[in-house]
Amino acid sequence: MNVIDPGFPLVIGRVDAHGRLVEAEARLNELNMRAGGAIGGPLAVPQVAMLARLALRLGIAISRNVIAADGDEDVELWVRAEPEDGGVRLEVSGWSQRPAWRPTASDSDRDTDFFRSAADWLWESDAALRITFLSIEAGMRYGFESSAMLGQPLTRLFALAEDENGALPILGAVAAQARFDGQKAVLRGTGRTVRLSATPRTDASGRFAGFTGAAEMIDMPLAEPQVDAPVPQAPFGGFPDSFSERLDKALRVPLGKIIANADSISAQTEGPLKADYAEYASDIASAGRHLLGLIDDLVDLQAIERPDFAVAREIVDLADVSRRAAGLLSVRAAQAEVRIDRPFNDESTLVQGEFRRALQVLVNLIGNAVRYSPRGAQVWIRLEREAGMGCVIVADQGKGIALEDQERIFEKFGRVDATEPGGSGLGLYLARRLARAMGGDITVDSAPGMGARFIFMLPLKDSSRITSEM
Amino acid sequence: MTEHTVDTVDGAPFGASRTLLARAAATDVRVQRALEIATADFFLPADARLDERMRSALGDLVRALVATIEAELREHGARLLATRGEARLAQALAQGESVLPRLRQSGLLRDSEMMAELLGRIGQELLAQSLPMHGSDSPDRPSLINRFVQHADRVVAASAMSVLIAESQRRDLSDAGLLARTDLPADLHHRLLWWVAAALRESLADYEALDALDRALCEAAQRSLAAYDEADRPEAAAMRLAMAVDAQPNELPALLIEALGDRRIGLFVALIAHALGLGYAAIREIVLARDPERMWVVLRALELERDSIAQLGYALCHADARRDLEAFVDQLEAIAAITPNEARAALAPLRLPADYRAALLVLERTGIHQ
Repeated sequence: MNVIDPGFPLVIGRVDAHGRLVEAEARLNELNMRAGGAIGGPLAVPQVAMLARLALRLGIAISRNVIAADGDEDVELWVRAEPEDGGVRLEVSGWSQRPAWRPTASDSDRDTDFFRSAADWLWESDAALRITFLSIEAGMRYGFESSAMLGQPLTRLFALAEDENGALPILGAVAAQARFDGQKAVLRGTGRTVRLSATPRTDASGRFAGFTGAAEMIDMPLAEPQVDAPVPQAPFGGFPDSFSERLDKALRVPLGKIIANADSISAQTEGPLKADYAEYASDIASAGRHLLGLIDDLVDLQAIERPDFAVAREIVDLADVSRRAAGLLSVRAAQAEVRIDRPFNDESTLVQGEFRRALQVLVNLIGNAVRYSPRGAQVWIRLEREAGMGCVIVADQGKGIALEDQERIFEKFGRVDATEPGGSGLGLYLARRLARAMGGDITVDSAPGMGARFIFMLPLKDSSRITSEM
Repeated sequence: MTEHTVDTVDGAPFGASRTLLARAAATDVRVQRALEIATADFFLPADARLDERMRSALGDLVRALVATIEAELREHGARLLATRGEARLAQALAQGESVLPRLRQSGLLRDSEMMAELLGRIGQELLAQSLPMHGSDSPDRPSLINRFVQHADRVVAASAMSVLIAESQRRDLSDAGLLARTDLPADLHHRLLWWVAAALRESLADYEALDALDRALCEAAQRSLAAYDEADRPEAAAMRLAMAVDAQPNELPALLIEALGDRRIGLFVALIAHALGLGYAAIREIVLARDPERMWVVLRALELERDSIAQLGYALCHADARRDLEAFVDQLEAIAAITPNEARAALAPLRLPADYRAALLVLERTGIHQ
């Protein structure tokens, strides 16, 4: 996030009626020179020159946030151009470096979207920290009177608490015009605690224009639910329950479109295309597929971590599931030049579990094995029975996993080598959680350089009575 | 592959086969319809089409409005039916599928007044989001609306507060995607309510006791109508505030500039509407119009000077990419040269009754002297 340093000195310049830069302080002069201009010549930074020209013609001071090229980098400027004595006086501040590209949605729009997905309710203030927007419904839900708080100082609604350093994060954020989070406060009159976060709004001259903020209730006891209101579920990772549903809708459909279109560009279905572009499109499609996989994982993660998560109890043939999983991965394996040695068609190991979930686990295990196998290698899938458990062993010839890493790979986001491409770091975590929810487990057996053997076990069909009607 | 034969009874196909044959027979009609739509779509002038932001916001708003009314009618209607011994019907009413697709398809929503209101409402929101913010010159000086809330005049303070409340409420969307209220002008709220009620009725037409259903839906609708007060709308609240402030010609320019700088479009529109003695919707239409000429005339009718017009014009053109900033700069001297009397005369038609103007427009568009 780009933080404007208000301490950065204002740089002054002057342009005459013909758009020539007649004087400029050092920083502006240097920028102009790097753009190929000089004092006495036309102002060579096009965005600033245009602003000066507009101000002159409109006859009023105008301010705008401008991105200008500075050598190989982009620099973000706050420019104020004011007509003066037949020319234009320029005041330029900001001067922060910024990445050459970012999405076109403004920061505050994006932050608002982000807040909305995680917060309990939203608020906004003006530059004097008086409330300009407050969710009326939140007031009713959490026991404060929103309507009486509008137009009032934020501190009328929130009793702000100091952090461990004795500071108020919100005040630091006002001074630095920066985003803050973790400002704890008590909702006055309710005794309830909230965590506030907000992002500053900045006007065209780079001045602070207020906060767009969110509040998250951090004390658990809620007002007694209304008679027919659904009882709120324990939220996952601070996200409301509807998060995964929205994630699904908001991302899966557009990503699906991105992938489908990128695929058809890459396949050149609409006509021939320069090879580079076709390749870019295929990169876009593959990045899209990666993101889609991540979304699937997150949606699964939320489902699994809910207290009421349950798996169906069915009789599943582990051999059949393994063959299907191997079949699903055969294209990827062929591309990677890896051979999958799958169980024979007449093999069968009946266990208890949920077919869909068992398939998901095996696709994950075999997919990993394929991903970490060198070209020309083989992945073996073997079936065994042991102590009331039916086991599928997925073995690869990859680089193996050091003993100290063998637990870490099952942790949430626990990746051994964070620089490796692909994967969300959730796959094995989810796989083990699923295996355990079905009464089984996943273990690993490996040494560096020796490949890895993952063992996925589920209780044998006959090991106990099952409730399923099958 | 097995061979499918058409099952017949006395030579006539039945069941799935009949449906298939019927669909096949109707294919011509659908193909023709698809062609018409594709043709119409292709020939729409590109610059007159809704942009994606507008299109998606409009979709969201229509969905939320229908869902809000539908939820109200279903809930209360079902309660009435349940107490009248129509348990099955009550349950069916409480749980049915959304009527939105049916309303869309029926063409009822293609109501020009409704669409004008919805587009105006969305356009206002989108304009506010794109306007350059204006920070305060002094960190202790509250924004315009918040200064009104603190105003010594209690009428001004109370009206400003009701603007803040109404605008906050409009942005509140419940978890179920429902609005606190539709916030439509009363006649449009009525219209939409009856459309939804009728669509609900149609969706349950297979049940018995339709009399009871009609009665329950109508009672639920009338209850909702009785509880609806269009004075709670942010637009109405803004007009009350503008009336309470009653800005004098010398105060108006600064107020307009500050309202726009604070992204309070509602207040901006209301201040102008009050000063000109016109309605909110008429001024909103002018403020949002792609062609800004009428806006400049309005500002001259309010006797704004060149510099104030330059500031407002710059902000309005900057916020809407469809407007040509360069063209505005070129016109600025010509705009400033219009006398307030000329400007007011040019706006005179806006004072004529809306229905009369609408009829005149239709005659003009379909006129023989083209």
